[in-house]
Amino acid sequence: MHPIQTFDLTKRYGTRAAKSVLAVDRIAFAVAEGQVFGFLGPNGSGKTTTIGMLVGTIKPTSGRFRLFGASGPKGLMAARARVGATLETPNFYPYMSGRDNLRVAAAVKGVGRPRIDECLELVGLSDRAKHRFNTYSLGMKQRLALAATMLNDPELIILDEPANGLDPQGIREIREIIRILAERGKTIFLSSHLLAEVERTCSHVAIIRKGRIVTWGAVAEVVGEGSAVLLRAPDTEALAGAMEAYPDSTSVRRTDDGIVATLDSGDLASVTRYLSGQGVHLSHLAPYRPSLEEVFIDVTQGAVDSMTEIAS
Amino acid sequence: MKILSVLLRIEWLKAVKRRSFWVAVAAFAVFTALPAVERVRNAHSDPNAVFALPESWPDILGTAAGIGPLFVGVLMILLVAPEFSWRTARQNVIDGLSKERFYAGKVMLLAGLVLFFMATTVLIGVGGALLSPGAGGPGFVRSSDFGYMSGLALAMLVFGSAGLFLSALVRSSGSALGILFLYLFVEEGVARLMSGAGREALRSAAEFLPFNVVEDLGDDLAHYPEVLAEVNADRAERSLALLEFPDVEVLAVAALAYSAFLLGISLLNMRKRDL
Ligand SMILES: Nc1ncnc2c1ncn2[C@@H]1O[C@H](COP(=O)(O)OP(=O)(O)OP(=O)(O)O)[C@@H](O)[C@H]1O
Ligand SMILES: [Mg+2]
Repeated sequence: MHPIQTFDLTKRYGTRAAKSVLAVDRIAFAVAEGQVFGFLGPNGSGKTTTIGMLVGTIKPTSGRFRLFGASGPKGLMAARARVGATLETPNFYPYMSGRDNLRVAAAVKGVGRPRIDECLELVGLSDRAKHRFNTYSLGMKQRLALAATMLNDPELIILDEPANGLDPQGIREIREIIRILAERGKTIFLSSHLLAEVERTCSHVAIIRKGRIVTWGAVAEVVGEGSAVLLRAPDTEALAGAMEAYPDSTSVRRTDDGIVATLDSGDLASVTRYLSGQGVHLSHLAPYRPSLEEVFIDVTQGAVDSMTEIAS
Repeated sequence: MKILSVLLRIEWLKAVKRRSFWVAVAAFAVFTALPAVERVRNAHSDPNAVFALPESWPDILGTAAGIGPLFVGVLMILLVAPEFSWRTARQNVIDGLSKERFYAGKVMLLAGLVLFFMATTVLIGVGGALLSPGAGGPGFVRSSDFGYMSGLALAMLVFGSAGLFLSALVRSSGSALGILFLYLFVEEGVARLMSGAGREALRSAAEFLPFNVVEDLGDDLAHYPEVLAEVNADRAERSLALLEFPDVEVLAVAALAYSAFLLGISLLNMRKRDL
């Protein structure tokens, strides 16, 4: 049974046409059990909105989703008992200690007290548990949020930018916790705009841009999608020009290493033939495996630079 | 039934750690107790000044009525509105409380506050009577005392419902408090205009403006006809206009209606809006 499935899930904020924002636009993807699923997108692309719909704080405008196969209100209530989630910043009572905050969360989730200490232990907050939440550093707040999500020992953990605002050490700690959880067989769905992070921690990824899912699947698949080649020639400019004109190439980028072109077909022989026809002689030609970052930049093209662009 | 105790426990955990909760409770207790302490002292020195139950209930309840309802309203705002700005309401829902249950918890908080404030008032009355010399008349509460207690509780309920309503609507304690006080101010002006109007219908409608209902329910004259008769006899002597109050039962129904309306709108609003 899939922990998460969405079917043309859509959210439009605001009703007046002129001012409304189409934050999530008919997205469809599925997260299978045991996956560490990265939900990757630039700022304002609709990650938080999507998660908000999944956890029940934001009403979808249209479309559906299933959690552990359930989609009705009753089924979802029951399914959510198997989920632990945070949305955006850690949300806690500032005047209470970390432990007291977890006591409230535990009461809501209906779990007992011993679990609180276990979770504090897991995120390394035991010795600061008695301090008030508003005295915590950002990293500690994030870790408390992780502890809270884990209280009910959820099968599915949903995290919205868990590494947001953390230093490299903090990011590493979060990554370590996620790794431990994944090893315990949990399904993890995390949103992020940190590409390297997602590439390191996730088995699967969906890339969202302006509310649309551009591509999704196993990280290796997404990265390997479209066959990219690395080309070098004595005359780089002529090579780039020729590749841009090549009907089979969908994108051409100049890198320090040479020219990276994405081809519709993996037919390298025709490329060599075409180039020598153009008078360009190759010194190097090899299949190229781009990093997730390159795929991301490629599919989100220049990312998003204004609110109006997202809306349009 | 189990869910009710769970909701109550959650609200209790949230409230006990809140300093403003205890400050408000302490302030209310002190305000209500001070005149009682004064009367107990008098009862010891002056044989004519008796502090005994049930005769002293009107005094004690009257003192509590002066600030109790407003305190419940303000406390509701202080305890509910920040849940939206801290986004803990959202987290509660994510953690598995449905919006309806979150709301039910707040209604229970309101009921709890009213009971808590009423219990404090009753304790102050009983304590003061025990510490004073001399015994009161037969019985501990007369039915009119009981009516006054219920009226006071209803007055608190209306204010508390208004606090919950404003919190759910504007989601910030500052604005909610501002609107509450602005409303009280505006209603007072409107009531004065309406009761000065020539038309009889307008004048009697003014009686049923929410704040007026709350004030009347907290007024001992509305609950003790014999005291009202005395006061009016005195006023007649000085040729002042006689005081009139609507029936307590009618006031109670109006209070319940206001409370139900405010709570109902809050629930609809909670349901409809994203967190
Ligand atoms: N409550 C709201 N009312 C109106 N518009 C909103 C609301 N919340 C989000 N939006 C808009 O919806 C779009 C998607 O926002 P969302 O917060 O889901 O993006 P995100 O991918 O989480 O971004 P980030 O990486 O910055 O957290 C944005 O254009 C945002 O301005
Ligand atoms: Mg976000």
